[in-house]
Amino acid sequence: MSAAEADDRAESIRMIRDSAAAVVPPDGDLKRIRALRFQEPGFDPAMLRQMGEMGWIGLRVPEALGGAGLGLGEMCALAEELGRGLAPEPLIQAALSAQLLAAAGGKGALAKLLSGEALLLTAWQERADTLEAPGTPEATRLFLPMAGGATGFLLPARIGDRLALHEVPASAVRLETAPTQDGGFLGTITPPRDLGTPLATDIGPALTEALDEAALVTAAYLLGGMERAFAMTLDYLRTRQQFGRIIGTFQALQHRAADLKMQVALTRASIEAAAAALDAGVRGDARRAAVSRAKARAAEASLLVTRQSIQLHGGIGYTDDYDVGLFLRKAMVLANQFGSAALHRRRFMAVSPEVEA
Amino acid sequence: MDAIRIPPPAELDGLEDEHFRQVVRAFLHANYPEALRNPPKRLHWAENKAWYMTLAEKGWLCPGWPKEYGGLGLSPSKQIILTEEYERHGVARTNDHGIVMLGPLVIKYGTEAQKQRFLPKILTGEHIWCQGYSEPNAGSDLAALRTEAVLDGDHYVVNGQKIWTTLAMDANWIFLLVRTDKTAKKQEGISFLLVDMNTPGITVRPIINLEMHDEFCETFFDNVRVPKENLVGQLNKGWDMAKALLGFERIFLGSPRQSGYALSRLKILAERMGVWEEAGFQDQYARLRLEFEDLKALYGTFVDRLKRGQSLGPDVSMLKIIQTELFQKITDTMLEIAGENAGLLEPLDGNRDLNIGGLYIQARPATIYGGSNEIQRNILSKNVLELPG
Ligand SMILES: Cc1cc2nc3c(=O)[nH]c(=O)nc-3n(C[C@H](O)[C@H](O)[C@H](O)COP(=O)(O)OP(=O)(O)OC[C@H]3O[C@@H](n4cnc5c(N)ncnc54)[C@H](O)[C@@H]3O)c2cc1C
Repeated sequence: MSAAEADDRAESIRMIRDSAAAVVPPDGDLKRIRALRFQEPGFDPAMLRQMGEMGWIGLRVPEALGGAGLGLGEMCALAEELGRGLAPEPLIQAALSAQLLAAAGGKGALAKLLSGEALLLTAWQERADTLEAPGTPEATRLFLPMAGGATGFLLPARIGDRLALHEVPASAVRLETAPTQDGGFLGTITPPRDLGTPLATDIGPALTEALDEAALVTAAYLLGGMERAFAMTLDYLRTRQQFGRIIGTFQALQHRAADLKMQVALTRASIEAAAAALDAGVRGDARRAAVSRAKARAAEASLLVTRQSIQLHGGIGYTDDYDVGLFLRKAMVLANQFGSAALHRRRFMAVSPEVEA
Repeated sequence: MDAIRIPPPAELDGLEDEHFRQVVRAFLHANYPEALRNPPKRLHWAENKAWYMTLAEKGWLCPGWPKEYGGLGLSPSKQIILTEEYERHGVARTNDHGIVMLGPLVIKYGTEAQKQRFLPKILTGEHIWCQGYSEPNAGSDLAALRTEAVLDGDHYVVNGQKIWTTLAMDANWIFLLVRTDKTAKKQEGISFLLVDMNTPGITVRPIINLEMHDEFCETFFDNVRVPKENLVGQLNKGWDMAKALLGFERIFLGSPRQSGYALSRLKILAERMGVWEEAGFQDQYARLRLEFEDLKALYGTFVDRLKRGQSLGPDVSMLKIIQTELFQKITDTMLEIAGENAGLLEPLDGNRDLNIGGLYIQARPATIYGGSNEIQRNILSKNVLELPG
């Protein structure tokens, strides 16, 4: 990348952050988030439409198909801001579906999905902690975030040695949802026998890529969340007094904060490196290694940072009223989505066994 | 099980330890409500009252109290056996502040009249107590507490606020640390006061905790008039009395059972998730398991000291730190292996043994209350290692 290109890129990422901040104020209060918790569908459909209007659902979709044609640098920056504000809208899932429909040539409800009018969730998962989509036609599909708000589902289905893509309206599936710690829901669906409308016959490679991207973008969402929880904790360390002193003057707590800072810095470095590599077009093993590194780090670090944020707050950290707990709950839900740290560590070693000194 | 005769309460202390353990098991088997085993959340009085009353009727309510006051008069080592068996059986905690904290304190420092007045009502379940120590600005630095009690004729007038008062909404009595001398050194101006929660001027406001449970409260005191005779011990000596109670509390906070419970659930989850056989997981599990076994051994050395009638020193802080952090590491591991199930609000498959997120959250406050682990480490480095500063 030339210096001018790099500047353009930085500018584009800054603009995304600014527009995200306008919709989901990064340091704003979390009343909206609280009001949506623990009731179906777990998010605000009007906000999802607004996200569609901002061009976020199709951020990665080529311009020719109605998207914004932007890179993962932008997408990760956006997710980070959403994570900072704990936005519950299933943007990552909607974007994943948009990428599949784009790969299928812009078929189905792509336009409505991009505008946020329709919410299509891709029902790819048949067991916990995996990035494989076997596409077993009759299999129950699991872990569909905010599925109660979906207007339809995309079903990968193995036909011969290829993965076809079908679309079914929400009315054609049996849906059950279970509440999650962050106030959202995970849905389980049983697909109809006929698998709905076929859209594409060979979606396998596109799905594999889209799942990798979703893993990286989820890592970025976790990064935003942990950074805000950490910032709240630093504020607390700077103001809370015990023993006639600001508690941030206790060296034990200073060292703890320093340790957390390093985890946040490693996470950011890992995610930005991965986004840059993917945007530069790396493929195959190198692509998978970059994504796995970032997601493994983000999963582990977000749990650590949010746990320690509670600890450093003392009793008040253990209340639902105080916002820092919301970040712990979000990390519990997202840390393992699109692959746990263990899965990504395993995958990293499988594709990148040698250390380059 | 059925073959074991359960002797009258007065005879329990005379039993040989292993026999006593069998008796406790038989007692729980015969009396403990199955539905209350390992409840996912701390129970409220309405939920545990029946069990409390069973214990009261059978004379088993107050294991550590001397027999003359209606207790079982158990030695520390028998109390530990009892606790171990309760934990093994998954017995829920009751509203036990009267039994565990207030009772022993009144027995040690109360007047004869106070003993007559308060102890029997704990034994009948008529008085349910809560602990009012912490304040918004006096947590780790408890001695900074400011809720004050000013003498006015035959009454103390109490003003101020307590916080994190566990199960205050269920209690009808509260024991308070209050400031009675603002001019003295902060530890030397604190007294211990017993307050009827039906006195005008008290407001209790439940706080929802991270388990989404109303377990602790804010408790406000606005010109609350408390009869002078409700002061326990000497005026301005409340701090020393409260501290004297803590040693025994710390060994209970260090009991390895909580970790043992979590370890067995981790195994069940690992099997459910299909990772139990994996070498990587086996190594992870082995580390936790060995830490658990070593903690048991270390705990045993403290129990032995108690058995020999020795008192425990500040090194008991080690137990609390090791146990609570091990408990957390085990629940962290549960979360890590659970895949997307880690985020569920309810136990997986509706199975209480697979309460993944619930246990992860429950494990958090143990490093905060009872003296945070940072404070326990300060105690270790200053009072045990005698490092300078
Ligand atoms: C579930 C739960 C139940 C409770 N029940 C009761 C109850 O029934 N009655 C009651 O009176 N209280 C109760 N408490 C209160 C408990 O005792 C306090 O939360 C505890 O003392 C910590 O005080 P704090 O919350 O004010 O935190 P703070 O003291 O403000 O601590 C904030 C952070 O600073 C750290 N810190 C403070 N001082 C130092 C230092 N010198 N060096 C290094 N680090 C330091 C702490 O470890 C913590 O990480 C309960 C608390 C919880 C979480």
